[in-house]
Amino acid sequence: MIAVNAKNIVFGYSSTPVIRDVSFQAESGEFISIIGPNGSGKSTLLKTINGLYIPESGQVELLGKNIEEYKRKDIAKKISLVPQDTSLDFEFTIEEVVTMGRHPFKGRFEKEDAMDKELIYEAMEMTNTFDIRDRLITEISGGERQRVFIAKALAQNTQIMLLDEPTSHLDINHQIDILNLLRKMNQEKGITIILVIHDINLATRYSDRILLLKKGSIISQGTPEDVITTENILQAYGMRAAVERNKYTGHISVIPLEVNKRIRSEMNIKIHVISGGGSGQDLINVLYQRGYQMTLGVLNAGDTDWQYAKSLKIPVAEEKPFSGISDKAEKKNKEMISDTDFVVMTNVPIGSGNLKNLQMAADALETGKKVVYLSERKYDEFDYTGGAATSILSHMVENGLVIVESMEQLLRKLT
Amino acid sequence: MKENIRIKSFGITLLILIILLVVTIGITATIGSASISPVDVYKVVASKIPGLSSVVGADSITASQYSIIWSVRLPRVLLGVIVGAGLSISGASFQGLLKNPMADPYILGISSGAALGAAIAIILKLNVAFIGFSGISVMAFIGALIAVTLVYNIGRIRNQVPVTTLLLAGVAVGQFLTAITSLLMVIYNRDMTKIIYWTLGSLSGKGWTPITTISLPMIIAMAIILFFARDINIMLTGEESAKSLGVNVEKTKVYILLLGTFITSMAVSISGIIGFVGLIIPHIVRLIVGPDHRILLPASAIVGSIFMVFADTIARTVISPMEIPVGIITAIFGGPFFIYLLRSKKKAL
Repeated sequence: MIAVNAKNIVFGYSSTPVIRDVSFQAESGEFISIIGPNGSGKSTLLKTINGLYIPESGQVELLGKNIEEYKRKDIAKKISLVPQDTSLDFEFTIEEVVTMGRHPFKGRFEKEDAMDKELIYEAMEMTNTFDIRDRLITEISGGERQRVFIAKALAQNTQIMLLDEPTSHLDINHQIDILNLLRKMNQEKGITIILVIHDINLATRYSDRILLLKKGSIISQGTPEDVITTENILQAYGMRAAVERNKYTGHISVIPLEVNKRIRSEMNIKIHVISGGGSGQDLINVLYQRGYQMTLGVLNAGDTDWQYAKSLKIPVAEEKPFSGISDKAEKKNKEMISDTDFVVMTNVPIGSGNLKNLQMAADALETGKKVVYLSERKYDEFDYTGGAATSILSHMVENGLVIVESMEQLLRKLT
Repeated sequence: MKENIRIKSFGITLLILIILLVVTIGITATIGSASISPVDVYKVVASKIPGLSSVVGADSITASQYSIIWSVRLPRVLLGVIVGAGLSISGASFQGLLKNPMADPYILGISSGAALGAAIAIILKLNVAFIGFSGISVMAFIGALIAVTLVYNIGRIRNQVPVTTLLLAGVAVGQFLTAITSLLMVIYNRDMTKIIYWTLGSLSGKGWTPITTISLPMIIAMAIILFFARDINIMLTGEESAKSLGVNVEKTKVYILLLGTFITSMAVSISGIIGFVGLIIPHIVRLIVGPDHRILLPASAIVGSIFMVFADTIARTVISPMEIPVGIITAIFGGPFFIYLLRSKKKAL
């Protein structure tokens, strides 16, 4: 069963989008972490899921029904939230705070009955706060307070629990303590857990799935293995990192290596991309995210890369659909190339239609321009020209063509 | 670890407080230049209740005693009860709503608006009475409502009312209106004494009319506030947390602000600006019953009544036959106590 189904969520504080077109599903019983750099919209996404924020477009389905069709109190019977800020200056006892979790089920002057008491006590037992139930919330430690607020959410007895950075102010032992508790709730009570967390290694260790956010978009979602890759970390955090399996826990872990300090200067580096047929999409995306100035060409109008470039408002030397490269397009493309610091080619297959592109890259190399060839994708065949493309390429290799096999290698060359 | 001395049962707490209040009314109504026993006070009250009058013999009481109790002491004591209750319950709910221990019923500009209204009425010698209220009362009430409306609209950001902007707007508008009142006092210095006396607050010489008019609306408003007690509790854990528990935060805020403003404006229009009651009483009561507004609000109302009645008794007897404005008494007792609270809080940190 699908617990939460977010479809094309767009949300912004007065028109600057904080969440841009985010879609994801949470199956019932899943443990999902939302990660991403500061300001990537993690908390905002969390608050959209439980209806605290109403998306400008798109919708959130809660257990198969549009969340906007629920009453506020009925949402509270399905989803509980452990907020980021658990400070409370008023001297409630622990038990009184946990009892507040029963609010959605009670009338204005209705007292808690035996069933409520049972849920409250169970929640305190599970979170290890039962023994301190008569103490005041103002005089316990941060780790204890976090557990009390989780107990309050547990007493709410919901199928889904959202947590906004539950470990951010805690020592490492309390962090593990809280996450073990969440896992126990997830496994023993089948509660769907969705949490925002900063620590990637904790996220990979405890989560079934991870959503990686950057600037309000999901740049990757899936199992920890799928999401936590060197490229994704570089793209999301602008940081080089080694990704490996931890030999003690068996989970994917990230070792930060070096923060990329070049990002600012990259703004002034101009790159001409030669691609086509969708081969350049990831490349364009990565270069665009990192703030390089880009031109593209020659591309046929309607080509996948052409569409993508247009959507990002990147200048393109273009040709009519399904036509060979005309002199006019060639001239424009050459002007673009002469104006850039680098030419980056993808290993898009070369046929008679785009042979001129390859030739232009070769010419650029000849005139001393730096040309990088990204052979990241696997295509069955490269040369559809009967040998002409291969011979140009091998000539280019002799002239100092730089060949890289991954996006990360490429980024290192672009300095 | 602090010892938990709270009384667990709401019912017992309220019962004890109500008994205390009744005893207080009986005792304070006897204190004064004419000697009267507490029993006589209860007898007079009982004689006014249909059905009880035949059972309780009020024959032993002389006509003059009867008249002093019924026409002078009792209305004044009961005015103290209702004003004290109103100020304390508003203060308690504002402190909870704004999550600010310094909040009092006047924090949203009610006092400065009322003072300006009253000052204008005094200067213009407005004598038009309106359903038994003096021109000063009516103008004070209007001034208070205008001030709060102003504060609310300045503090509002679209359809939300963030607490911080609301508080800042309250301070700004309050200072501004106070400045105008001061300016008026400088220009019309003939009326200065009267204006100052009004702002210090007094319960003297009002008779039955204001009580019978303001009691019912004030009691109804206080009763409605109690409906939101649990919502206020939950809002103390943070607005988002409260929303996720199904509390309609913005609606609750507006209701509490409206009701608190209404109650306070009513009280101020009759009695002037009696300070410290609405600030101190909720703090004292919180120490005794804890922060749960389901008990804090009604208990504050009763304790506020008791405190107010005692303060007023001191105000009218200590340098008898002269009277001290009761606002001075509440501040003289309230100020040091507040300092004591601050110091003990500092020790706890």
